[in-house]
Amino acid sequence: MVGISVGEQHFLKGGIAQDLRTDGRKRLTYRPISVETGVIPQANGSARVKIGGTDVIASVKAEIGRPSSLQPDKGKVSVFIDCSPTAEPTFGGRGGEELSSELALALQRCLLGGKSGAGAGINLSSLLIKEGKICWDLYIDGLVISSDGNLLDALGAAMKAALTNTAIPKVKVSAEVADDEQPEIDISDEEYQQFDTSSVPVIVTLTKVGAHYIVDATAEEESQMSSAVSISVNRVGHICGFTKRGGSGMDPSVILDMISVAKHMSETLMNKLDSEISAAEACEDDES
Amino acid sequence: MEYVSPEGLRLDGRRFNEMRQIVAEIGVVSKADGSAVFEMGNTKVIAAVYGPREIQNKSQQLKHDRALVLCEYSMAQFSTGDRRRQKQDRRTTELSLVIRQTMEACILTELMPHSQIDIFLQVLQADGGTRSACINAATLALADAGIPMRDLAVSCSAGYLNSTPLLDLNYVEDSAGGADVTVGILPKTDKMDAKLPMETFETVFALASEGCKAIAERIREVLEENTKQLEYRRAA
Repeated sequence: MVGISVGEQHFLKGGIAQDLRTDGRKRLTYRPISVETGVIPQANGSARVKIGGTDVIASVKAEIGRPSSLQPDKGKVSVFIDCSPTAEPTFGGRGGEELSSELALALQRCLLGGKSGAGAGINLSSLLIKEGKICWDLYIDGLVISSDGNLLDALGAAMKAALTNTAIPKVKVSAEVADDEQPEIDISDEEYQQFDTSSVPVIVTLTKVGAHYIVDATAEEESQMSSAVSISVNRVGHICGFTKRGGSGMDPSVILDMISVAKHMSETLMNKLDSEISAAEACEDDES
Repeated sequence: MEYVSPEGLRLDGRRFNEMRQIVAEIGVVSKADGSAVFEMGNTKVIAAVYGPREIQNKSQQLKHDRALVLCEYSMAQFSTGDRRRQKQDRRTTELSLVIRQTMEACILTELMPHSQIDIFLQVLQADGGTRSACINAATLALADAGIPMRDLAVSCSAGYLNSTPLLDLNYVEDSAGGADVTVGILPKTDKMDAKLPMETFETVFALASEGCKAIAERIREVLEENTKQLEYRRAA
């Protein structure tokens, strides 16, 4: 937790009211974002995203699994977040668990769509290998290395980048077998399949401090927030998920206003992120 | 299985006394008082140091005349080949303890009474030798935080396979079941996993010590480079 004095609190809030924040940004300006892909060689896909002082890594691992009986035609995706104590001493022991599960749930909601699997950011049917028998289980692990506010947006961006970086081996299902038997599979070493991540949403968090709301809050600004709204928006401008955090209530009209601002901000963020991701991918290709 | 080819090369092409590539960087976690990344081949560890600061939990204070050193080791879900399921297991607890004892012996704790120093270690990739990498990363992070130390505590592992002593084991060699010794130089802590005749132990131990010295040199270089950078920035 950031401890700041009463004087600093006034300075911070006064700055936000005048549209000039303590680090010189306007209310709706992001800190510099940098993306690096392929940072974890053991994973099928990985990315590291830095937004100012916030530093997160996301990795995607694929394992062969069995589709759930409710959705025999879809693969499974699960999201786990780990807040490393390197980021904040209070995350030591079990201290980070509450925040971790809150973040994981919010990301799951933003990324994976409804219970039926409809509206998910990635096409879950593309994870299917044999209906009702075999599918890929995707495990998305996020790790917070350094935290300076706006974790959710950073993790959302890292996941999008990691999914873009992901390559899953192609699988051949050998000869037909009887319905009740598990078919044999052959995992290719050479051919890989990639995901279309253009419909994966980005997350924009608007943090309300005093009467105004700001984008990309630092840890200091977050310590003064009354509430925060995270909105995930996809490329066509549709709202995919919505999470509100923080104790105090909000007027519905403010929320509507925030949604339209978030929608506008998401376009800039999405474009920025896409160019960073493709630059990172190109850079990685050069090295290999 | 053959771990050393007749030509004297190991599985990853190294010779018996060859270390993996070391990459070290200081100041990766901006909010921490000191931090470092340490890579030995594919093993990659981040260390962050917070402190010295007021003791948070008074009940942990055992001695009033020196600083309290705490250490927490954690492995990322994606650090190993298979995803790990449980978070805190006995191995993690044991490792935290070993690292804590090593660092405690190295820090001049008597200079900082009534304060605590937290060392957090996060393994990003594990490919054998995480124990050594953690100690080396912690040393760098402590130096970055400006915490007074007796000397640089460094660590390196060595093992004995196919009747050859091998320096800096990777995961495959580590899990081969041969003897392996992790040596931390300065406060001499060593740990062994399998039985080894006394004479062989000496050669393996000497090899690991040689490795430690090489690492200490590298760490000193990194620190000097970092100090030069800081000086340069101050002048500019």
